[in-house]
Amino acid sequence: MRDPDQYKILILTTNVSSYPGANTVGQARLQYSPGTSILRVPDPVMFPEEFYLNAFRKGVDGIIVMSSGSDCPYEGAYRRLSARIQRVYRRMKEEGIDKSRLKLTTICTVCKTAFLKEIAEMQENLRKLEEAAAQA
Amino acid sequence: MSETTSGSPSPGTPSREEIRVGVYVCHCGGNISDVVDVAKVVEEVGRHPSVEVSKHFPFLCSDPGQQLILEDIRRNGVNRVVVSACSPFLHETTFRKALQRAGLNPYLYEHVNVREQVSWVHKAKRESATEKAIRLTLAGVEKVARQDPLEAIRVQAEPHVVVIGAGIAGMRAAVSAARRGLRVTLIEKSDRTGGRLNELATLYPDNESARAVVDDLTQMVVGDGNIDLCLNSRLTMVDGYVGSFTVGFETRGPEGPILRQVRAGAIILATGFRHYEPFEGELGYGQSPDVMTLPEFNRALESTPPGDLPTFGGRRVRHVAFVHCVGSRQIEGVHRPQPDGRVNDYCSRVCCTAALHSIHRLMDKHPGVRVFDVYRDIRTYGRGHEDLYEKASKRGVLFFRHTEENQPTVELQASQNGHPPHRIRVRDVLTWNEEVEIPVDLVVLATGMMPSDIGGIVQTMKLPVGSDRFLQEVHPKLRPVEVANNGVFLAGTCQGPMDAVEAVAAGEAAAVKASILLSKGVIEMDPFVARVREERCDGCALCLNECEYRGALAMAESADGRKVARVNPALCAGCGACAAVCEPRAIEVAGWSLDQFDAMVDALVSR
Repeated sequence: MRDPDQYKILILTTNVSSYPGANTVGQARLQYSPGTSILRVPDPVMFPEEFYLNAFRKGVDGIIVMSSGSDCPYEGAYRRLSARIQRVYRRMKEEGIDKSRLKLTTICTVCKTAFLKEIAEMQENLRKLEEAAAQA
Repeated sequence: MSETTSGSPSPGTPSREEIRVGVYVCHCGGNISDVVDVAKVVEEVGRHPSVEVSKHFPFLCSDPGQQLILEDIRRNGVNRVVVSACSPFLHETTFRKALQRAGLNPYLYEHVNVREQVSWVHKAKRESATEKAIRLTLAGVEKVARQDPLEAIRVQAEPHVVVIGAGIAGMRAAVSAARRGLRVTLIEKSDRTGGRLNELATLYPDNESARAVVDDLTQMVVGDGNIDLCLNSRLTMVDGYVGSFTVGFETRGPEGPILRQVRAGAIILATGFRHYEPFEGELGYGQSPDVMTLPEFNRALESTPPGDLPTFGGRRVRHVAFVHCVGSRQIEGVHRPQPDGRVNDYCSRVCCTAALHSIHRLMDKHPGVRVFDVYRDIRTYGRGHEDLYEKASKRGVLFFRHTEENQPTVELQASQNGHPPHRIRVRDVLTWNEEVEIPVDLVVLATGMMPSDIGGIVQTMKLPVGSDRFLQEVHPKLRPVEVANNGVFLAGTCQGPMDAVEAVAAGEAAAVKASILLSKGVIEMDPFVARVREERCDGCALCLNECEYRGALAMAESADGRKVARVNPALCAGCGACAAVCEPRAIEVAGWSLDQFDAMVDALVSR
């Protein structure tokens, strides 16, 4: 069993909302897993289904998509993103990748608690999966 | 439109084989280097085949720090730069400008955040923080290695602004824009200027005459040759893009409606607010003339005959209660939602002070009246507002405070021999949750603000709307009067509840932003919009279905006669929805391509 800090968690953040949100967490000196890597994008709606599946194939353990939700400045982007994530879930099922490895959530520029909670929850999901795999 | 779009690499651009990345890791005076082993980051990243130089420095944003980068570009052949330091929001522009000074395209730059997102959040884990900094910096190297030089998008700017709404914010915006040399078309749907200020006699906190403020501003509008005030007018269409909008509107005149069109470089929305309307039976509203909203009360107070006690609708009134937060700070499951299914969970901000202001006006005019104030929280946040609260207390206004769970109720009864007929019940936290019954003659509901009904404009212009239904700015602090639509600005209460002072400030800010945008005659915009690599485009047109921005994406003919997608960069918002469905990766957001992200993920999982 790995140390949960070693889980490779990819976090997709948005320029206007969750990336500044991650900065707010830093400014407050709140601590979280160094296994996380934050990528900044205008909006995660730009990623096709394949991007997520490839990331898992490459060795990413979990992906948290931190969208801007209702703060999204792009017309219709959140609707398209959430529909896409549903399609990714279907593809993950086909490929035997557990659904709990991917999470779509909304993080605002000051959502410190929610930001930390999402990471902790993903770590817990990954720990359970590893535990289950070890027992199997 | 004249434009330079990003796309084919310009002459002199190094080919991929010649990529020489300079990597610079900042200590940030210990902020980073106390946790991250910067020497190790430099050493590890320096092994990457594309990295020419790899250095660390105490403060890269300082002059000597920037000089270090400049020297490497000029003398050591560095042609791409990665800086691992603080948040890009702080110094990305600083370093882009440094590249520019050294003669390098400013977009051949990647800023990696190893402070807010590494050293500050992994303080006790130095080794893994260093590993993470290496990973992120390598991802930055991979990204910048795949970065083409980009050019800012340039469009002609029409020195003309359309302002929609001639309330206090719209008029202030119009006057300020005109004084900065712009022509202004000020479109107002009603037959007069002033908007909601026309409902008020005086303005808090100084009892300034609302009429005088409206008249002064109207004089400035009418007297300015640069402003075309169009009353009785309604927006009919908006076309075009920043710098060159075509705005159509219809003016009702004695000889019927007249349709007009103007070309404008920017649009300022000052469409204002409407009052929350309590539903029938909400705190007795609509069931008795003795329950009225604050705007209705203010109007009625104008015509009460002077005297120790006021008379409203022929009835003498001795006891008046003001109830706060009506239609604001509503709670799901407790309050009745609006037709869209949502409650107004936001604070309308101005009603606390507005109610206190009205209480003073009532007591000034009718000193014999007894006032009760029923509130959940008092938010008298502006300069001089708290004085109104304190003064009310000193004048004998009785305050009752309730919690979110225990909302006050109003019981209406027929008049009883001159005794106050109605009862307000409130569980008062100021008297340790005593259940208090207040006999009153009149109940005034301090109603909140809701956005004006501008669904047509929102639809026409595809404007972003927040969950509170007000128009939404890009960022409340960084870009407070801009919306995601380029060249469109917000002024006043169309954006959210604010008072006259704040609305005027917002109007001024919007005018200044519009004037900065249009002052050079040419607008330079960030190049981070969609672009098409025509050689890869198979003409499937799937991307068109994804694009929400009218005119941003269309099919066109390529030089070799094929059907290909083409982007109008001035209309593209750069969201990238199109890129997700393009299998051959012909369309992508410049500076944020999927090839770059794939390579970044490879780097992130490599260690």
